[in-house]
Amino acid sequence: MNDPERPLRRPRPEPRRSLAVCALIGAALMAAVDEIVFHQLLAWHHFYDRSTTDIGLLSDGLLHTAELLALVAGFFLYADLRRRRALAAAHARAGLFIGLGAFQLFDGVVDHKLLRLHQIRYGTDVTPYDWAWNLGGLALLLIGCTLALRAARRSRAEPTT
Amino acid sequence: MTPEHIHPGPAWHDLAGWCVTAGALLACAAYLLAARRLGRRGDAWPWPRDAVFTTGCLAVAWAMTAEPPGGPFTSHVTRHLVVGMAAPLLLVLGRPLTLALRALPPGPLRRALPAAAHARPVAVLLLPPVAAVVDLGGLWLLHRTGLFAATHRQPLLNAVTQAHVLAAGLLFTFAVCQLDPVRRRRSLALRGSALLAAGAAHAVLAKGLYGAPPPGTDFTAADLRTGAQLMYYGGDLVEIALAVTLAVQWYARRHAPRPTGRRGPEHRPPGHAHRRARPGSHRVRPVQAQEGRLRACGHPPGRRLSDRWPAEGCRTGRPCSV
Repeated sequence: MNDPERPLRRPRPEPRRSLAVCALIGAALMAAVDEIVFHQLLAWHHFYDRSTTDIGLLSDGLLHTAELLALVAGFFLYADLRRRRALAAAHARAGLFIGLGAFQLFDGVVDHKLLRLHQIRYGTDVTPYDWAWNLGGLALLLIGCTLALRAARRSRAEPTT
Repeated sequence: MTPEHIHPGPAWHDLAGWCVTAGALLACAAYLLAARRLGRRGDAWPWPRDAVFTTGCLAVAWAMTAEPPGGPFTSHVTRHLVVGMAAPLLLVLGRPLTLALRALPPGPLRRALPAAAHARPVAVLLLPPVAAVVDLGGLWLLHRTGLFAATHRQPLLNAVTQAHVLAAGLLFTFAVCQLDPVRRRRSLALRGSALLAAGAAHAVLAKGLYGAPPPGTDFTAADLRTGAQLMYYGGDLVEIALAVTLAVQWYARRHAPRPTGRRGPEHRPPGHAHRRARPGSHRVRPVQAQEGRLRACGHPPGRRLSDRWPAEGCRTGRPCSV
């Protein structure tokens, strides 16, 4: 916003906010990818297979809606950070990986195994798929954590930016 | 279920459909006339609002008179999506109440409109959770009780149901978007939560319908599944549009130049927007005075004072488009 009466402030990065916003985007993105790739393109999951419990159906609906809202909210929060030039790039990258990994792990453990909403694939032995899914999530999460630690260390080393 | 069962007899259903259609077209004409009146007076009224409102009215007219494609259930879902979700959003985005307040000449009607919008029962209905319950509760009742089958036997009931779908959709969208001036502005968190809950209820209902038809009906499995998926993903689209509307409001208000001593525009005292510039006071002012006042507010010169009534214009720092 170009407002002539507004004093020009020096941009100050907001690492925590950058990380949180990008984690939100990451989680929503992973949820969207899961839905588009596995439900729509591969058709491995079912739309609804009637074996889902009521509580599973409710959590599924909530999660699906939350994913859409998070995607929109994340985009605008990110745009706001950019507008104020407050985006801390390294923290943002770390946040994205954390979000991606955390959601995939959550989906694999809670949705697939605890609530048994749906399985990754039907008609075959699902164990290798589960392992690949959850280990993939864990790997993404670990990458995110490593990046976050590194970003935190670097911003401590040069605190005034 | 054969198509004759879905649209029983010509009498009531058609009559109600045509009444709603006529109402929509009349509303559209009134809206365009009012916008033109503003234009003649020299006030700005952005054309996209005319476009969305007109589209909304035409969508209602189409859905109430034409038979949407697909099997009977798919066709019903399409009508629900258009009349209950998409058209209300388009109509609300046109800010009809704001336009009416600005276009009506001073008189009893002009006074009655804000009074009605600010009345206590209306304020309760416009509380986002209440509006969500009215809208989604009605939808659940229709699809999960014998009501759906009953509407096919009783045309009058069908007409009432259709009218309720439109009215409840309008109420919910109006309460969540809050683009027009109402008694109390609700927080973004409350409106967002209502949207989340309503979206979840819609998604759960759509998935449930995929597996089990409304009681007392016998749609074919293929029709039911197509309809349910259409409901699920169509609902998503409208929900994203609603979320974007809320997010744009947040984005526009955030980090606006602040009045002294307050944290931001959302902390303004209620009713502030109405004190800024009286709705009726749209006399054409001398250009000098207008520009002086606008500059004092930090606004780009060359815009009229009345451009920014009734909303947040002045302090948000964005170009006025109210």
